[in-house]
Amino acid sequence: MGLNMTEQAVISARAGQADIPPGSARLYTLVLLVDDRQGAIDRVVNVLRRRRANMRTLVVGPSEEAGVARVTVVVDDAEVGVEHLSEQLRKIVDVRQVLLFPAGQAIERELALVKVSCTAANRSEIIELGQHFGAQAVDLAPETLTLQVTGKGEQVEQLLERLQPYGIRELARSGCLAIARDE
Amino acid sequence: MTTTATVTQESGDARRASTHATDEARELAGSHILCEALVREGVELLYGYPGGAIMPFYDALPAYPRLHHVLVRHEQAAAHAADGYARATGKVGVCVATSGPGATNLVTGLATAYMDSTPVVAITGQVGRPFIGRDAFQETDVLGLTLPITKHNFLVRRVEELADVVHEAFQLARSGRPGPVLIDVPKDVQFAKTVYRPAASVRSIELYRATRVPQPAPEAIQRAARLIAQARRPVIMSGHGVILSNAYSELRALAEKTNIPVITTLLGLSAFPVDHPLFLGMPGMHGPAFVNRAIGVTDLIIGVGLRFDDRVTGKVSEFAPQAQIIHIDIDPSELNKVKPAIVPILADAKAALAALAEAVEPGDHREWLSELRQWEAEEQERARRLSRPVPYPTPTDILDAIYEVTDGEAIVVSDVGQHQMWTARFYKWTHPNSHITSGGLGTMGFALPAAMGVKMGRPEATVWVVAGDGGFQMNIQELATLRDEGVEIKVAIMNNGYLGMVRQWQEFFHQRNYSETPISSPDYVKLAEAYGLTGMRVERREDVQAAVQKAMQTPGTVIIDFAIEAEANVYPMVPPGAAITDMIIESE
Repeated sequence: MGLNMTEQAVISARAGQADIPPGSARLYTLVLLVDDRQGAIDRVVNVLRRRRANMRTLVVGPSEEAGVARVTVVVDDAEVGVEHLSEQLRKIVDVRQVLLFPAGQAIERELALVKVSCTAANRSEIIELGQHFGAQAVDLAPETLTLQVTGKGEQVEQLLERLQPYGIRELARSGCLAIARDE
Repeated sequence: MTTTATVTQESGDARRASTHATDEARELAGSHILCEALVREGVELLYGYPGGAIMPFYDALPAYPRLHHVLVRHEQAAAHAADGYARATGKVGVCVATSGPGATNLVTGLATAYMDSTPVVAITGQVGRPFIGRDAFQETDVLGLTLPITKHNFLVRRVEELADVVHEAFQLARSGRPGPVLIDVPKDVQFAKTVYRPAASVRSIELYRATRVPQPAPEAIQRAARLIAQARRPVIMSGHGVILSNAYSELRALAEKTNIPVITTLLGLSAFPVDHPLFLGMPGMHGPAFVNRAIGVTDLIIGVGLRFDDRVTGKVSEFAPQAQIIHIDIDPSELNKVKPAIVPILADAKAALAALAEAVEPGDHREWLSELRQWEAEEQERARRLSRPVPYPTPTDILDAIYEVTDGEAIVVSDVGQHQMWTARFYKWTHPNSHITSGGLGTMGFALPAAMGVKMGRPEATVWVVAGDGGFQMNIQELATLRDEGVEIKVAIMNNGYLGMVRQWQEFFHQRNYSETPISSPDYVKLAEAYGLTGMRVERREDVQAAVQKAMQTPGTVIIDFAIEAEANVYPMVPPGAAITDMIIESE
């Protein structure tokens, strides 16, 4: 990314390791391209832990290039400055690139599988509710149904809120994935 | 790098391995490839200790007479010795240990090197690949253990990648901001054979940011020069980076052209001569009061190769409250880490200082300097008033004697504690890189093994260890190694019968509750004799000079046990967490 500290026009009054006032923390999405070698993911997670990053979600998967993993991390910056965190991550030998997005700036999606209690009477009502959020029913059983939903984090949250009254038995969320918008 | 053909008594197999100076491909075992790669890296010294999982390497080693292996008595000492060698020479220090306890014993030494950014390569044996992950005998997850205290580490999975890994490790260790790199080599990889092609083995890690040395951005240099021209009470703060990048003359050029006084951090000491009219001193917790006072009122800090560590800054929010900061560092993660810099300059210290010295206008800060010297004189006058005639050797007696007897030519390696602060404060550092100590990690037991590395790296130099009676006992076993190797080090123990720095904190902050700080020592004279070395005990201050002289005239390693005042303190002191202008000074 070539983010050169000397070229940064804005100098934050807050140094990288200083805590910020409670309540003013923001969410950031970090996308890392990492050589998929022994211990590479350990190193990334270790730096995040060691440098006191508050991790909300962490997703590891393949990228467009063989042998390069894509790691997407959502952090809030209550305890450590994200620019400082990015520089620490860039120092890891296996890390090829670190992209830093304030929340909402990149295209961000997550997937959730929600197993909801249901009866013969309310099953179609739940499916209909899910469809409203673009969710599909991926498994049907006599007492449960499983919905698959994809979308921004807040869309997933909204659906979960609406499903709460029926009884959520099990929830699996993928965590946030992100990709930069093209101009 | 060429290997020599001087092998005479090795087996035929070994001779074939070590006499091949050509680039021709040949089949070799991993253990021999490891040695070949070390030779190609120019390694001459290794500090290590054999054991089960590293035995194939030790089997190959005698076939490479170029690789002089030093058998330490504890792996921690191997890491410190490699570190000391690296600090003294600027070259990569190498240490070797077996799996499990051998590797875990390296950990303190690697953490020490990591905190102080020194280039070390550690090679550890690992259990064979089929046993990894099965809790085998002497198996530890060395990669996991050393992850946060190495710049990078490798587990070699195939013998085919071994040579590349070694060269990558050396490149990483010495490039950018230097640091320790560990290579974990499973035993079966050391046995496995492959075709070794020396020419094919140097692979660069293009992607690694730290291997690129960033050039200072010209506009940043211009901005910095403008700030320097406007500053009325500027100071230069110089750290370890100036020593690591050999930027002494550039630092001096900048200071002299602008007439800006120079503060050096603990690890920056000796980068700028103490007797220079622009030298101020060490900042922070045990710095002279006038230096901290200067930081309290300065309007511009030109920070070079330092990380604004908490022992330097004290309470960060009150550190240099009126100052703008120009911060030069090779590691982008250090810029804006602790104190925001108005001009961060990402560059090697040498290049940045040279560019800055070129860009600045000549300056005159006579008023500022005379104010500083006035404060210094007041502080020194006060110290003179408070000094009492004492019968026992004082830290300054000892340090002055070492300086005088060696004509200031010695490299002084200090351990950690009160004596370290006294040494930092009162020794007259006039030669670049003559001060070696464990700053960031503050590792007791560092000095003796580190000094062994220093002396073996710079055999022409006189090397003195200054240690406390606590720290000296932590790696005391290395006296045997020094004797075996015929390495000549002179040791001054400042013996107060206490873990002195902890006792001082107990005195100041724990109501003199001297919990577990009184500590006994063996009879160091007898101990030295038992190791085949020379020991002396000095109890009267008038005997200090003669003892130091005698130590210099006596061949081999000499230990002098100086009985100093039991409850002397290091003054001034900034209490932890306080502003550095809030110092505890000696009461009248």
